[in-house]
Amino acid sequence: MSMEKGVSIGDFNVKEQTQWCPGCGDFAIVAALKGALAELGIKPHQTVIASGIGCSGKSPHYINTYGFEGLHGRALPLASGIKLANHKLTVIAMGGDGDGYGIGAGHFVHIMRRNYDITYIVHNNQIYGLTTGQASPTTQLNMKTKSTPYGVIELPFNPLSLAILGGATFVARAFAGDLPHTKEIIKAAIKHKGFALVDVLQPCVTFNKLNTYEYFRERCYKLEDHDKTDAKKALEKALEEVESGYKKLPIGIFYQVERETYEEKLPQLAKEALVEKKLETDISRALEKLM
Amino acid sequence: MKYIFKIGGQAGAGIMSAGRLLILCFSRAGYNVLGYPEYPSLIRGGHNAVQVKVSEGEVRAPEPKHDMLIALNQDAITFHLPDLKEEGVVVYDEHLKCDKGYGVPFSKIAMEEGDVQMKNTVALGSALALVNYPFEIFENVLRDHFGGRKGEEVAERNIRAARRGYEYVKEKGWKHREIKPLSDKRKVIITGNQSIALGAIKAGMKFYAAYPMTPASSILHYLAKVERDFDIIVKQTEDEIAAINYALGASFAGVRSMVGTSGGGFSLMVETLGLAGLSETPLVVVVAQRVGPSTGMPTWTEQGDLRFVLHASQGEFPRAVLAPGDVKEAFLLSAEAHNIAEKYQMPVILLTDKFLSESVFSTEAFKEEVKLERGEVVRETAPQEGRWKRYAITESGISPRIFPGTPHGMHVATSYEHDESGFSSESFVMRVKQVDKRARKVEKLLEETPGPKVYGEGEIALITWGSTKLPSLEALEILKEKGKSAKVIHNTHIYPFNKKAFLEALGDATPIVVENNSTAQFAGYLREQCLIAPKAILRYDGRPFFAENIAEGVERIMKGEEIAVVKEQRDVEYYYPYRFR
Ligand SMILES: Cc1ncc(C[n+]2csc(CCOP(=O)(O)OP(=O)(O)O)c2C)c(N)n1
Ligand code: SF4
Repeated sequence: MSMEKGVSIGDFNVKEQTQWCPGCGDFAIVAALKGALAELGIKPHQTVIASGIGCSGKSPHYINTYGFEGLHGRALPLASGIKLANHKLTVIAMGGDGDGYGIGAGHFVHIMRRNYDITYIVHNNQIYGLTTGQASPTTQLNMKTKSTPYGVIELPFNPLSLAILGGATFVARAFAGDLPHTKEIIKAAIKHKGFALVDVLQPCVTFNKLNTYEYFRERCYKLEDHDKTDAKKALEKALEEVESGYKKLPIGIFYQVERETYEEKLPQLAKEALVEKKLETDISRALEKLM
Repeated sequence: MKYIFKIGGQAGAGIMSAGRLLILCFSRAGYNVLGYPEYPSLIRGGHNAVQVKVSEGEVRAPEPKHDMLIALNQDAITFHLPDLKEEGVVVYDEHLKCDKGYGVPFSKIAMEEGDVQMKNTVALGSALALVNYPFEIFENVLRDHFGGRKGEEVAERNIRAARRGYEYVKEKGWKHREIKPLSDKRKVIITGNQSIALGAIKAGMKFYAAYPMTPASSILHYLAKVERDFDIIVKQTEDEIAAINYALGASFAGVRSMVGTSGGGFSLMVETLGLAGLSETPLVVVVAQRVGPSTGMPTWTEQGDLRFVLHASQGEFPRAVLAPGDVKEAFLLSAEAHNIAEKYQMPVILLTDKFLSESVFSTEAFKEEVKLERGEVVRETAPQEGRWKRYAITESGISPRIFPGTPHGMHVATSYEHDESGFSSESFVMRVKQVDKRARKVEKLLEETPGPKVYGEGEIALITWGSTKLPSLEALEILKEKGKSAKVIHNTHIYPFNKKAFLEALGDATPIVVENNSTAQFAGYLREQCLIAPKAILRYDGRPFFAENIAEGVERIMKGEEIAVVKEQRDVEYYYPYRFR
C-alpha cells in the first residue's frame, strides 16, 4: 500500500511471534493499527502505545514502537502522563473491555472530559480472555460464563453512549472481522485532534462462543449518511444495539466534533514539550514571596 | 527572649490565618518563629488552635505551655487556659467568661468596622499591644496579606479594626512583658510541604499529580499556585491510582515527576509502586503521614506508616525511603529524591508527617546548590537488530534509559518480568538475572548513602527519624539542665540503611528511639538492621512530642521502663468540643 513519508508497515513489524489463539480478533486490530500508522506516515519512534493487562494488553509487544504494558485498568492514566510529558508524540492506549470498562472505568469517564489528543482502542471481546473466561462488563445478559454459570443477570455496559454523553470528541466502533474498515476507523481516530474512542468488536474464539465472527457478520452494518456532529443522532445509533435486541450493530464513526484539547489549554505547552524544558530552576523569587 | 502565643477559636473563625499573620509580624523583625496548627477534620462546629512560638534562639517544636492565650470563644478558654503559664496572660472576646486576663470587645469592634469575621484581626491587634509591639509592623503585614489579593479596601478595613483592638488595650494601660523588633531582616516562613515542593522544583520536577488528601494537599495547593511561574504541569486526577500512573507515564517519557498523598491514597498507589520498581521507571512519591489506620484522625500527626512504605507492594524490588526532619531537610531530600530516582531508576518515597508538613517554620532562604544527576540516559542510538535493550544486564545494575521520540530506541516497558529488551519473559535464567540486576542498584545506592546526623554527645542516644528530630533536639537542653548527657542520632536515609555509620554514631550510648507510633517501628527496624535492642519513647495520640515528654521519657527509661508511652493527663477534643461544654 502507500508509503507516505518513507514509513512502511514493515517498520512496525517485530521479530517476536504473536501469541494469541489462532483466529483471535486481536491479530486484526494490531494489523489495522500498524497499517493506520504507516499510512499516516507516523514514525515508530514517535509513537507510544500504553496498554493494560489482558490478552489485548500484550499488543505493544507486537508493534515496533515505544510501548508500556502497565497495570490492569491503568492504560489511560499512563497514556495521559506520557501525553502531557511529550505532547508531540502520537499516543495510543489499548486494552480490553474488562480493563477499560471494568476495573479502569473511573479513568475512562474522566479522560473524556479532558480531551487529550489520545486514541483509545478497546478490544471488546465481551469476556475476560486472559483469566480464562469470566463475565466482563460487556458480556450479554443471560450468557453463561465461568463466573456466571447461571447466566449474567446484569445489563451490559454501553460504552458508545457513555462516551458520547461523557465528552469524547470522537466515538467509533469497528469489527475486527473487517480489517480494512477497522484500519480506516483507526486512521481517522489518530488523525482526530482530541480523545478518540475506538471500540472494536473482537471475537474471542476460545472463551466467547456467543459473539463469534458469524454472529457479528450477521448483525454488523456500516453507518452511512449519518451526521457525525449530531450528538442526539449519534446516541440513537449507539442505542440501536439495545433497542434492536442486539440484532443490529452499526459500525463506523458515530460521533465526531472539534473541541480544544487539554494540551492546547495549557500555556506551558505553547512553545515546547514538557520534556524539552530545562531542569535548572531559580527559586529565589518564590522564596522571597514567602517572607 | 522566648514568647509563646496560643490562639483558639471555632473552626471557620480564621484562626489559621490569624496564626499566619502573627508569624509574619515576628519573622519580619528578625525573630525565629514556629506556627503549629491544630484542627479537626471538619469545616464547622469544631475547635481550631494555633501555637505561635517566637524566639531569638532556635525554634523547633511546640511547647505544652503558653505565655499568652488569645481566646475567640469559650472553648478556647476551657481548653487552653489550664496550659497558660502561671505568669501568663489571657486576652479574650469581652462577652466570654474568664477569671483571668483582659476582655476586649473583639466581635463588637469587628462588627462596627463592617465585618464580624475581622474579630481575629482585632484580637491580634490587642495581643500585640499587650507585648508593646509596634503597630506599623502589623499594619504592613495586613496590607501585604489582604492588599494584593482582596483589594485595598479590605486591607484598610482590617487595619482600622486591628488598630482599634490595639488602642483599646493601650488606653486601658494593660501590659504583658515586651517584645521588641530585633532587626528588619526578614526570614522565609515555610511549611514542610512547601519545602518539599520547592526542593522538587529546584531539582527540575516538571510534573506533579495528586488527589487531595490531608496532610499532603498543601503540596498540591502550593504547586498549583506556582505552576505557571515555573512552567510545570500540576494535575489533580480522579484518584490516587490515576495520579501515580500519570506520573509514571510522564517519567517514562523523560520528565521528572512526583506524586503526593497520605496513607489512604498511598494504599491505592501501591500496585503502581511495584510497577515503577519492576519497569525501572523513576518516581518520587511523597507520603505525608497522619493518624491511621483507615480514615483515622486525618488532621493529626503520626509516624505509623514506616513499615508500610518499606514493604508496600507485592514482590521484591528496589526502592529508597527518605525522611526529612525539618524544613531544610525537606527541601534538600526532596531534590535528592529526584536524583536517586533517576540515577537508580527506582521509586523513592519521601516520608513526612502532619507536624512537619503543615507547621510553619522560619528559616534562612535555601541557598544550597542542588546537583542535577539524571543518571544514564542515551540521547542517540544507531539502528540495531531487534528492540533496544532497555533492561540490559549490567554490572552496576543500572541499564541506560532512552526516551520515546528517540530514533531506534523502541522497546516496551512492562509490568511482567522481561528480558533485556523488555519483552515479557518467564525464563528461569533471565528471571534470576533481572532480579539480581535490580538488587545491585540498591547495593550501589548504599555506597553513597550517608549515615545519620549526630547532635551533641553523651551516654544516652535519642534516636530519631522524621520530625521527632525537632522536639528531641530541644529535649537535649532540658536533659543538660538536669545533668544528663545525651545526643541525638537523626536518621534521614531510612532505606537503604547505612548501618555501619549508624553503629559508629551510636558507640556505646544507650539507644532510645523517639517516634510517633504505638509499635516502635523504627526500633524494630534497627533491631533487624543492626541487631540492637533499643528502648523507645512513643507518642501516638495525634500530637507531636513536646521536649518535656522526651526528657521525662528518658527518666522513666533510666528507671527501668522499656517503652515509655506519652499520655496527656487532661483531655480536650477539637472534633466534638460539645463533649466538654
Ligand atoms: C489488579 C488486578 N486484578 C486482576 C488481575 C487479573 N486479570 C488479568 S487480565 C484480567 C481481565 C482480562 O479481561 P479484559 O480486560 O477484557 O482483556 P482480554 O484478556 O479479554 O483482552 C484480569 C482480571 C490483574 N492483572 N490485576
Ligand atoms: S483467549 Fe480470546 S482474546 Fe485471548 S488470545 Fe485467545 S481468542 Fe484472543
